[in-house]
Amino acid sequence: MVALARRTLRYEWRRFLPAMVAVSLASLLLLLQGSLVLGIFGSASVYVTGSTADIWMGYPGTQSVDQGRSIDPDAATLIEMEPEAMRVEPFIWFDGDWRGPTRTGGVSVFVSGIDARPDGLMFSKVLSPALRAKLQTPDAVVVDRAELGKLGASVGSSAYIDGERVHVVGIGSGLRALGGVNVLASLDTAQRLNVDSDHPGWPTYVVAQLRHPEQAKAVAARLNQRQGGGPHQAWSATAFARRSTLFWLFDTGAGAGVLFLAGVVFLVGAAITSQTLVAAVFGSIREYATLNALGVGLGALRWVVLEQAFWVGAAGLVVAAISGLVVISIARLRDIPVVFDASLWVACSVAVMALAMLSGLVALRSLQRADPAELLR
Amino acid sequence: MTGQSDMSALEAHGVAKAFLSGRIRTMVLDAITLRINSGELTLIAGPSGCGKSTLLSILSGLQRPDSGRVFALGQELGTLDLSALEGFRLRHTGFVFQGFDLFPALQVSEQVELPLQYMGLSKSEVRARANDALDEVGMSSRRHLRPIELSGGEKQRVAIARALAKRPDLLFADEPTSSLDAANGQVVIDMLHDIAHRHGTTVLCVSHDPRLIEHADRVLQMEDGRILDDERITQTKRNPERSSVP
Repeated sequence: MVALARRTLRYEWRRFLPAMVAVSLASLLLLLQGSLVLGIFGSASVYVTGSTADIWMGYPGTQSVDQGRSIDPDAATLIEMEPEAMRVEPFIWFDGDWRGPTRTGGVSVFVSGIDARPDGLMFSKVLSPALRAKLQTPDAVVVDRAELGKLGASVGSSAYIDGERVHVVGIGSGLRALGGVNVLASLDTAQRLNVDSDHPGWPTYVVAQLRHPEQAKAVAARLNQRQGGGPHQAWSATAFARRSTLFWLFDTGAGAGVLFLAGVVFLVGAAITSQTLVAAVFGSIREYATLNALGVGLGALRWVVLEQAFWVGAAGLVVAAISGLVVISIARLRDIPVVFDASLWVACSVAVMALAMLSGLVALRSLQRADPAELLR
Repeated sequence: MTGQSDMSALEAHGVAKAFLSGRIRTMVLDAITLRINSGELTLIAGPSGCGKSTLLSILSGLQRPDSGRVFALGQELGTLDLSALEGFRLRHTGFVFQGFDLFPALQVSEQVELPLQYMGLSKSEVRARANDALDEVGMSSRRHLRPIELSGGEKQRVAIARALAKRPDLLFADEPTSSLDAANGQVVIDMLHDIAHRHGTTVLCVSHDPRLIEHADRVLQMEDGRILDDERITQTKRNPERSSVP
């Protein structure tokens, strides 16, 4: 079979190049924008994604990790009664005021009090065993290396949180937060720093590791059912991370901004792509008209144009995917918060193929000019 | 359904066509009635703008007349909708145009196979028909070349093979020699004549090329949208006597 669409694309690639470039730039923009937004707002859930806890229990209705309120430590008992629970530990979270050793003024910080033992769940993915060990010394804190400048601190320096003295004993990475700076401490240190609270020792969350992590959703549902609308609510880690990211995405208006920008990128991409395809159809209009004269229906010719649009979209996507991977890798090396998210890539691919096919549909109109009677004039 | 004579492959009854240019209405075809016999090469000749191409496009179903009726192979074309008309052209007609209109991306053999694909033929049948047609126009050895590698005469031979491979009952050619030099023009004329006589195809050709006249079985002279003269060219007249048939 003669694959007219593909043969023409390959042979006359220069004619289709602007469309492929437009599609690949549009998809690259969508991808990077999405990866960046998920990266930035994903840091709202770094507490969840950086830890190995499968179940999170906190104040009912909490919309994001950083919106947590203290809960009764008895919540831990409830989880401990759950046969699936393997390890249960408290997590203290509160915001504080940092005063560094240099002239950096006050900086809002989020203090995380974690079980700093080697097998602790919190931040187990981002804290090295060495850093965990250092955290166990009294008044020790760890911060992200990218925040040192903001805090005016360095390893070994001292500072004050809510007037209480702390020592920076180490720096980590992947700890950046939204709206403030994450400061990690042991549960004991955090309890001592939490001077503004009526219950400094009460946890903000109780987290648990399950024997079968895939059961998290069911266990969370069971816990919520068991306490029957009590003073706690349980979420699976995945659900809570997603809840936190979405809260920030839409609470800050960034979600609407992203959708708006995506719409603009989509329209610009579709405009360029469709015009290029229209030009390509015009370039072959006499040949199409000849085929039509020979009895090949306009319907069949439309499929040729749509197939070309499909391949233009697919080629643009491949280029965008490769360059996207390169750019994301570079961004990660430079501590720019970008996330490689499979569902985002699928969504972008669908959007870009829709863009290509829409452009193809627009270009179909120019096929009407393939009037074989014109060949006789 | 037809009202058509047995010998006629094509018939026009009172076919008229006018074009509007601004407010000016120009009559291109003025109530033309004619019959084209099957298995013959019929030439419509006449000066530029006399309406011969418009007549060809109406007789081949590419365009509809303002008034009058056209019968092709017994089928009244005016009763067919667009897709039925496309289907009719697919099954029964071949076209050769002045500009060759080959796809730059396709090789010679693919140019010929492409329209056959849409006829519902098997792969092997498509291949066989394309090979036969290319053999017939002497282009088999160049089957893997692209249009850019062919001369004008070769391109027109490929265009003829593309039309011929469909094994059409009706073959329409519009100024098939006007872009060609004398030698290539002669080759094309001979092929069209051969196709009519060997395959029994009705070949209707529009041209102002006087070289074609002596190869035609019949010549219709047109001027100002009317047929002024209808001549049958006899074998003896071809070299060089000629008799006029009213």
